[in-house]
Amino acid sequence: MKTPLLGPFRSKGNGHHSLGPMQHIDVPMRRYRDTDEVDYLIVGCGSAGGVLLQRLSRAGFRVVALEAGPFWNTERDWVSDESGSHKLYWEDLRITGGTDPLAFGANNSGKGVGGGSVHWAAFAPRFHPSDFEVYTRDGLGADWPFKYEILRPYYEQLELEMPVAGPAHFPWGDPHGYPYGPHPMGGVGNALIKGCSALGIPVSIGGPVAILSGSRADRPHCIYRGYCIQGCKVGAKASTLITHVPDAISNGAEVRDYSMAYRIELGRNGRVAGVHYFDRDGAAWFQRAKAVIVSGYAIETPRLLLNSACPGHENGLANSSDTVGRFLMAQAGNVVLGRFDQPVRMYKAPPAHALTEEFYETDPRNDFARGFAIQTVGPLPIAFAKQMVSAKRAWGWGLRREMMDYNHWASFGLLGEILPWPDNRVTLSEERDQFGIRAPHISFSLHDNDHKLIKGAKNKTMEVMRAAGATEVAQEARYAHLVGAARMGNDPRTSVVDKFGRTHDIANLFVCDGSILPTQGSANPGLTIQALAARTADYLIAQGTTIFSSSKRDQAEPPMRRNLAPPDTWGHGVPRLK
Amino acid sequence: MSKQSRKSAKRLPPDVDTSLLPRNAESGEAILPSEQPGYYSGYSTLSQQAYWDRTTRDLVNDRVKNIPRIRHFDAQSARFWRAVFDHILPQTDRVPERRIPLLERLDERLYSNRGVGYRYEKMPPDREAYRLGEIAINAESQSRYSADFVDLPHLQQDIILQSIHDGKPAAAKEIWKQMPIGRFWLLLLQDAIEAYYSHPWAWDEIGFGGPAYPRAYTRLERGEPEPWEVEEQRYEWGAPRYSVSDTTESTHHLHTESRQNESIPDESQ
Repeated sequence: MKTPLLGPFRSKGNGHHSLGPMQHIDVPMRRYRDTDEVDYLIVGCGSAGGVLLQRLSRAGFRVVALEAGPFWNTERDWVSDESGSHKLYWEDLRITGGTDPLAFGANNSGKGVGGGSVHWAAFAPRFHPSDFEVYTRDGLGADWPFKYEILRPYYEQLELEMPVAGPAHFPWGDPHGYPYGPHPMGGVGNALIKGCSALGIPVSIGGPVAILSGSRADRPHCIYRGYCIQGCKVGAKASTLITHVPDAISNGAEVRDYSMAYRIELGRNGRVAGVHYFDRDGAAWFQRAKAVIVSGYAIETPRLLLNSACPGHENGLANSSDTVGRFLMAQAGNVVLGRFDQPVRMYKAPPAHALTEEFYETDPRNDFARGFAIQTVGPLPIAFAKQMVSAKRAWGWGLRREMMDYNHWASFGLLGEILPWPDNRVTLSEERDQFGIRAPHISFSLHDNDHKLIKGAKNKTMEVMRAAGATEVAQEARYAHLVGAARMGNDPRTSVVDKFGRTHDIANLFVCDGSILPTQGSANPGLTIQALAARTADYLIAQGTTIFSSSKRDQAEPPMRRNLAPPDTWGHGVPRLK
Repeated sequence: MSKQSRKSAKRLPPDVDTSLLPRNAESGEAILPSEQPGYYSGYSTLSQQAYWDRTTRDLVNDRVKNIPRIRHFDAQSARFWRAVFDHILPQTDRVPERRIPLLERLDERLYSNRGVGYRYEKMPPDREAYRLGEIAINAESQSRYSADFVDLPHLQQDIILQSIHDGKPAAAKEIWKQMPIGRFWLLLLQDAIEAYYSHPWAWDEIGFGGPAYPRAYTRLERGEPEPWEVEEQRYEWGAPRYSVSDTTESTHHLHTESRQNESIPDESQ
């Protein structure tokens, strides 16, 4: 028998190890009364909500965010444990159907301050310029109401605010580099590099991922423990809980946790007056506001708008176009598993640390439009066991045997663009959640282009896995990310919100989160969601108080306000004297 | 042959006959139950717990030390599901005091009516799924072997469950019309997996490093062990003679969440 290389490391300490000063928010938080009419009430304090809260409060607005989940004390609440991390995920009742029903729950939508950015794997690629004009280029999907160049400065800005680690040269889309250095490779990243290199496919090494490769102020660097999607106790992975919410609170914003919004109130003047919500004991409250921003993500946002139906808006608020809930998108997220003779130990390093976007764009040689990315993923034992059940139909002794080989497997995730279709939609089910609020029903079905794209993407990903030296390759069908369902556009007849997130129907009601995306590319949406939030904030700030009283719809692009970023994100460079 | 299985060869638990034990691949002899099956002899994640954060340490220790009592299932159903889980993730290669409780975790979930965040529109709620499943599996047993599941010999129980796994039941068609058999099977597997592979003894078995905050992992490349991990010591083994569950398929079209590229058999009924 072989003992551990340096002996068994029997317990010496009593567990009082520490990484040093973790970020603590020791500023008192302002509390508004619900009789106060705040300026902006944000529903959902996740990726978009956190950024909006920070920008608007720093600009001097009175802002409250309602968050259905808790305000985390990360050291007390989070664990290095798969089974113990379910509270990070939105696990309220959702009914799922269609010919290709989506699985929700784990690592899909977040609950608690920081939302999905608490449990994302933190891949943070930008969308490509082509994503903004899919309809023009391919005759499918939709165009965005603006071009890539509008969002580029916000991408650059949020890459600094998170910040994003990655290579100095990222060759795809609009080529660019990353502010923090690339991460070292784990076993899965090595396999991806090896496979891609053998086939002549360029590969991005060590990112782009919103995880610190070096420490930043009081946030420690990554310790490569692999539990990214269980919440980063280290504080190395960016979540709005640590990147934006602290600054928001310092600037007088309130985050009201355990507050589940269930209806937006429409006033007699055709403008929204506030939001009804339940506290954790199920007591009902109403918060007044001059304007409301819904940032509940692609299921809860349309659910809240639909649940807010009232006389004059029988089909739900902001739904005169009948597009609320429609054009829901998820990306194909098939996992391709490869077994190697040598150990891989894929639980080390962040799951997200290398990718290729070489197949992102429409290629006329394919029988489908648009494309896909191939990324590293690093399932921990429970997730991996479920994949073995699906990919190899393992059970019983077969499952025990496959799992004993856990350390020999590497896994790649493909990320394939599924186009927006009107029948992929969120509606209200007759069933109710624990508060008595009607639960969402989600219908999801793949269409012809999606089927063909997934098939091509799957085959290419398996080819890369074999080229990496895998002696056995299996795959599991799954989906990743949720966007759409309250899409933006210039035409009020075919979209829910305008290019700044303002609903076409109601002048002081906004939507800002993943649900406003018209298409999704094959890039993880987190960075884009935060970039959109920063831009919407700039718009609201530029509009000043006109939002609160006027229905005037100014479509001029606002100036970018870099000085509203959290402190220390900019201004550290070579001085240029004027 | 690893030292651990030689060491444990003294003991044969009373509830196990050798036909239910994994076999040495060369000699065909039964490998007697051990404290820690798998290829990482001597490895213990729990021995590292002084290097874990307090919340994680408390959670994992609680999982090992405190086994919830059965509150949702009645005695008969508990006996039934215990027998089923003995096949879904068999543990005859573990000495009785080192077997990982599966049924208790499921019972606790159903008792507190805790879901996983969604329900397929064609599936009943989880409590109802388990109620229907018990009826259907017993109907399958009666149809094939004229006895309830728990009264069947081990191999016949395995064959019954294989028919559910394959989506080819002979009986209880009316139940499988209300509840897609493939999704029901996945529900069973997922509950068994959540219990087994969340347990540190399973982490030891598969060589998983376990919690690493705040200490960190430092040897990221080439699958190298940390100084406190151990290197793999493989041995070849075969499944017990009285089992049919050791076959796996590596097929590229298999899927569960959707019909993606093929039709899913259980929903086309």
